[in-house]
Amino acid sequence: MPDLNTCMTPILQTHQLSVAAGERQILRDINLCIPTKQLTAIIGPSGAGKSTLIKCFNRLVEYVPSIRVNGDVLFHGQSIYKPSVNADQLREKIGIIFQQPVVFPKSILQNVIFGVSRLGHIPKKQWHEVAEQALTDAALWTEVKDRLHEPALCLSVGQQQRLCIARTLAQCPEVILLDEPTSALDPKSTEAIEHAIENLKGRKTIILITHNLGQARRLADWVACISTRHGVGELVECDLCEALLTKPKSAEVIEFIKSRRREEQISPMMAS
Amino acid sequence: MRNIMNILFTSFTAFAALVGCGVFIAIFTVIFYRGLPAISFEFLTDQIRVAGASGGIIYNLIGTLILLVSALLVSAPLAIGIALMQTVFLNNGALKKRLELLLYILNGVPSILFGIFGFIVFVKYLGLGKSWLTGGFLLGMMILPTVTIALIERIRSIPKKYLEAATGLGLRKSQIIFSVILPQSMSGLTTGSLLGLARAAGETAPIMYTATIFAGATIPTGIKESPVLALPYHIFVLAQDAFAPAAIQNLWGAALVLILLVFMLSIFVLPLRLKIHEEAHHA
Repeated sequence: MPDLNTCMTPILQTHQLSVAAGERQILRDINLCIPTKQLTAIIGPSGAGKSTLIKCFNRLVEYVPSIRVNGDVLFHGQSIYKPSVNADQLREKIGIIFQQPVVFPKSILQNVIFGVSRLGHIPKKQWHEVAEQALTDAALWTEVKDRLHEPALCLSVGQQQRLCIARTLAQCPEVILLDEPTSALDPKSTEAIEHAIENLKGRKTIILITHNLGQARRLADWVACISTRHGVGELVECDLCEALLTKPKSAEVIEFIKSRRREEQISPMMAS
Repeated sequence: MRNIMNILFTSFTAFAALVGCGVFIAIFTVIFYRGLPAISFEFLTDQIRVAGASGGIIYNLIGTLILLVSALLVSAPLAIGIALMQTVFLNNGALKKRLELLLYILNGVPSILFGIFGFIVFVKYLGLGKSWLTGGFLLGMMILPTVTIALIERIRSIPKKYLEAATGLGLRKSQIIFSVILPQSMSGLTTGSLLGLARAAGETAPIMYTATIFAGATIPTGIKESPVLALPYHIFVLAQDAFAPAAIQNLWGAALVLILLVFMLSIFVLPLRLKIHEEAHHA
């Protein structure tokens, strides 16, 4: 049986990763491999530390007050927590998209090239081209191509989220971290985002936190489940998507899948 | 019993509001009533003549504006620097508290001490003589806490998500300052500056020994020994020394011009603030 922890070419790898905020332990001894150019979904109950885990991958976790990270994260086999590593350069290569879209109070075009135009790796002449490519990849180009100079805040929330994906893509990251990108969205926008993610599969390494098992099944190659044991988040199981969702081995995953099925059955009824 | 307390308390708040408005209206009415006859085209465009008994206040008005603009140019960059130090670069809570305390202390320094300090250091020790630059610098120092604190408060209210998103894109601290923090906190700088300048416009103590003379100055061409005329000092001298009825009338006229100038600065704050606020949300 294939195991995520023995996969051949991990781009990211955590080694005994533990995170604590003040006195409170959030994550304990996470050992996880993220295979290159595959989509790894991270599932698990709320508050288990999934967001904290992916923020460890680009060191954004350091901006949380009084946080301590122990253990290590390897990117291409190199520790990213060495003092010699420039965290800003790391974040250019490992982009992140949040639960709620964060759009700057500027035009659509300015938002897409927000990072590119300031980091200075790409000459100004190519910005427009880069923006078009990124918006196309984020499945937003056709909707905004005639109004690139309009304020981005006029877009719908779903479009704003795709704009955020485009903004990250414009920088050509190797890894894209998606922190429940569709949890704030309606089904139609969710579909558009999933379409955009599907576009990127096989080209980028993607780590997707999701609450939606259907989404994990539709998109993921691999699934890792983070759950709480004695109040601390641990990696309870990770496997190929199909294997984990149909034949889960650990009690936590079985319980989680059960509870999600119940909710997903109830919620459409409540909506109707 | 409870009802009586309610009525008493409501009456007291109404009384307080009435006193506040009343004082303001009284001052303004008196100045308007006595100053208006002095206002004329000549008064606003001519220079001072016969020790204030005749002529106008054009160079006083220009001098006050020169002082205000230089105060703005001195205080704005310093305020931006201190505010960024306080909000972005300092991680040490104790140091932050001390810096903030320092600002409040600076805010409490009596304006006459600024005047004396300027006189000893700039006029005498550095040998500048009376100079508009000294006046502008001292007024800038005086309004620095107001501007800085307004800016700090605005920076603190920037939603964390913007900083997180910009950091997540790999932007350096300096790039985040120029792309997120400063554009989103400019309203704090404008509001603070205008409020500070409204106060600085009427200050006499910091400039009377350091920057202004009563008559004989026009537009300064240098720095050393280059005093200006200024409205508050003009009022101060006339109020102390004038006997001629025409001079006293001109004193009220100058007071009216000064109070209108200050009003304009204060009134600018509100729409500008609203406009920038709106832009931040829709632009």
